[in-house]
Amino acid sequence: MPEGSRTPISLVDCDVHPAFREGLRDLLPYLAKTARQRIDFAQSSPAGSNFALPANPLYLNAGGILRRDASIGGIVPGSDPGVMADQLLTAFGVSRAILLASDILGLGALPDPHLSGAIARACNDWLAEQWLQADERYRGTIVIAPQDPDRAADEIVRLAADRRFVQIYFPLTNALMGEPRYYPIYEAAEECGLPIALHPGAESIYFTGAMPAGGTPTYYLEWHTLLGQAFAANLVSFLVQPVLNRFPALKLVVIEAGCGWVPDVLWRLDRNWMSVRDEVPWVTDRPSSLLFGHVRFTTQPFIEPETQEHLQAFCSIIHGDRTLMFSSDYPHWDFDSPNRALSRLPSDVQQRIRATNALEFYGDRLSHSAT
Amino acid sequence: MSRHVIGLERELREQGRRIVRLEGRSIGLFYAHGNWFAVRNKCPHQGAELCRGTVSGTLMMTSQHELAYVMDGRILRCPWHGFEFDLATGQSLAAPDRLRVRTYPVTVEDGRIVITV
Repeated sequence: MPEGSRTPISLVDCDVHPAFREGLRDLLPYLAKTARQRIDFAQSSPAGSNFALPANPLYLNAGGILRRDASIGGIVPGSDPGVMADQLLTAFGVSRAILLASDILGLGALPDPHLSGAIARACNDWLAEQWLQADERYRGTIVIAPQDPDRAADEIVRLAADRRFVQIYFPLTNALMGEPRYYPIYEAAEECGLPIALHPGAESIYFTGAMPAGGTPTYYLEWHTLLGQAFAANLVSFLVQPVLNRFPALKLVVIEAGCGWVPDVLWRLDRNWMSVRDEVPWVTDRPSSLLFGHVRFTTQPFIEPETQEHLQAFCSIIHGDRTLMFSSDYPHWDFDSPNRALSRLPSDVQQRIRATNALEFYGDRLSHSAT
Repeated sequence: MSRHVIGLERELREQGRRIVRLEGRSIGLFYAHGNWFAVRNKCPHQGAELCRGTVSGTLMMTSQHELAYVMDGRILRCPWHGFEFDLATGQSLAAPDRLRVRTYPVTVEDGRIVITV
């Protein structure tokens, strides 16, 4: 039986990925006719359709990117709310799991604003009906298509009325997130009290941000190691552009992009800002303090330095006792176990990372019973 | 504390800036828009000769969220890393409580500029 509303919340998983069972077909019942018409037509052709949601097709993890042990009964891992509830929530004592559909992550690479907006809407309705209804412990992410910022703002307002949604997924596109064209999205997010969330999946697809900088890697190992770059760029854009000056209550969570790169970015940003402050006078406080106030990082994939001292020094540098929130990334291959991933940190810091920081960041929508 | 006569006001005003050595300290004297300032010629950041930097105004945000050019003649920029200092208070603009340069009172007496160290 779902427990969330009565027992204290001791573990929040901030990155869990429900999957479609049959790809885009799962969304067809929710898709507006104007968008469905095009997809149906293409798929009804004798040659079928090779239209698929954008995903980075170049790099293959030899072990596969989904946990084999999540394929109970041969299902696509992550596609069954009941299996996930048993294998993740109940097994590990997760009180709240924030869901973000993995198949939708590359939406920012779809140039057509109408089609991408329709797919985002369909995904949100699918999540609400198929997942948030299924277990009281699930919370949702509103997916938007930033290709049309005004329609994206409308979508935020529409879904914000459903208090089971706790954040907004902003798929990366070919423009850094701090640009003024995105202000309608931030205005709606701030108005509705919902944080913006970033997550890997849209970089390096056709015209979206070429990643990594410097040239095309050959191996998955290279590519995966350098995942943080696009997020460093977007985080810096968010902090340096006037976004927080215009929308001072806005919050950002960077999911699954790692955090090991954060110290160097902060050191350089703080120091450079002191020299060229007059280029960006709307940044009225040190950028690092803006970050500590407005930005959070999920832990997975957590760093594994050689020694406990290294780990604790790192956490201290990025104010991890405030800025980190636990995530497992279930059912992906680099899943972090809630029982093991944080074990080298002091127990009071662990508890902040396991639940307290998320409860403070997401507020009532996370903690209160959804029913 | 002791008072040091630097020179004639008229001459120093035309010059706009002079670096002098008083009691073993290098000190910069500045004039802009009717105001006199004197600050230690040593940047609190890494010890550069602060007073050799440029003097200008700076950019700030107004309460209406617009850019404004302000404090003309009052901002001294360190020649090494560009940190901005308010000549009137000695405070850096980016870290007013943490990073500041020592200021000295300047007075005009009988047409002469006096710095008190």
